[in-house]
Amino acid sequence: MDPTQAGMVAVGAGIAVGLAGIGAGMGEQAIGAAAVGAMAEDEKFFGKGLLMTVIPESIAIFGLVVALILLFVF
Amino acid sequence: MGVSNAVKYAYIVARVRAMKSKLIPREMYPKFLNMDIPEIIRFIEESEYKNDVDELSKKYKGTDLFEHSLSRNLALTYRKLIEVSQNEANFLITEYLRSWDIWNIKTILRGKFSGASEEEILEGVVSAGQLRYRDLTELVKIDTVEGVIAALSGTPYYPALEGYKGDLAEIENALDKWYYSKRIAAATETGNKLFLKFLRTEIDLKNLNILFRMKKAGMERDDIAKLLIPGGLELKEADLNRLASLPFPEFVRALEEYSYWSTIADISNDLTSLIQIETRLEKHALVYASQISHYYPLSILPILDYILSKKIEVDNLRIIVRGKETKLPEEIIKSHLVM
Repeated sequence: MDPTQAGMVAVGAGIAVGLAGIGAGMGEQAIGAAAVGAMAEDEKFFGKGLLMTVIPESIAIFGLVVALILLFVF
Repeated sequence: MGVSNAVKYAYIVARVRAMKSKLIPREMYPKFLNMDIPEIIRFIEESEYKNDVDELSKKYKGTDLFEHSLSRNLALTYRKLIEVSQNEANFLITEYLRSWDIWNIKTILRGKFSGASEEEILEGVVSAGQLRYRDLTELVKIDTVEGVIAALSGTPYYPALEGYKGDLAEIENALDKWYYSKRIAAATETGNKLFLKFLRTEIDLKNLNILFRMKKAGMERDDIAKLLIPGGLELKEADLNRLASLPFPEFVRALEEYSYWSTIADISNDLTSLIQIETRLEKHALVYASQISHYYPLSILPILDYILSKKIEVDNLRIIVRGKETKLPEEIIKSHLVM
């Protein structure tokens, strides 16, 4: 792999993780706010709130997987 | 509904939904009807009203304690909504809850007009609006209606009150009209169409209430038209004028054209009881608020739905205990309940 190609792959991997992270963050902001609101009224919502908040994290993991494929398969 | 709107309302809506889950379930009301007053008070003491009962138990006893605890809880709950909300939600909740200022001003003026004692007037006061309990207590100490109006001169309510010439009904109506026109202006200012729709439906229901009452009392078209509040959703000015001019049976038939008909359709052949009609219309408001709050879950509507549900819970509890205290038959108490 020539250096330019390697550089492009690295940039691609970075974009994949970065955009996926931003998307997950946007998803989490409303869920996090709602989870804190529900918890403020009833502490029993802690477990459910935490679970719901991390669901958009899967998008970030998809980004990470794409980045790893780019870096190690190509 | 964009992402930003969802974020704006996510916190407060989740909190309000959690608060709503703590309201007394509908199935409890028939059980309350079979309980004695001390049993109901004991139940209340162990519920969300515990702190209020504890706080006031030194000052009041029995049903007075019950009544004051309910009012205090209602006021604190509404105040909490204002304190935990932000930006647009905070503005709209504050504006909406001004209806309690109107309620308190009306209660105090009526009390002063009829010569009720300070204690009696304070029993009906709920400091959930912008006028604090301390301010209201000061108002109650003033002896005359004119004095109370003069004391309110620094408030936004004064323009509706300054025309007082001895007719309380006239300024009460002016206060209602002022309240709704200001709320419509607030909703238009924020561009919140859902709030506006809710408010305009509320105006329709209030107008229907007025129409039924006035038609039953046999009032003339012009007198009724003066009382009606402009700005409704389905009942526009032309509709109101037409309905106001019809005799009672035709008026009831004319309501078939509107969506509110479904609320009273099954009792349309026997509309003798105003209480029954008013309870139905209140129930309509409750069901409507609950339904549209599910259509738009991240908006102002779930909050308005909670505000309405909480008020109805307090009203129902009050009706049951006061009804039992005056030994009213169970059927009559039940007919007043909004369930």
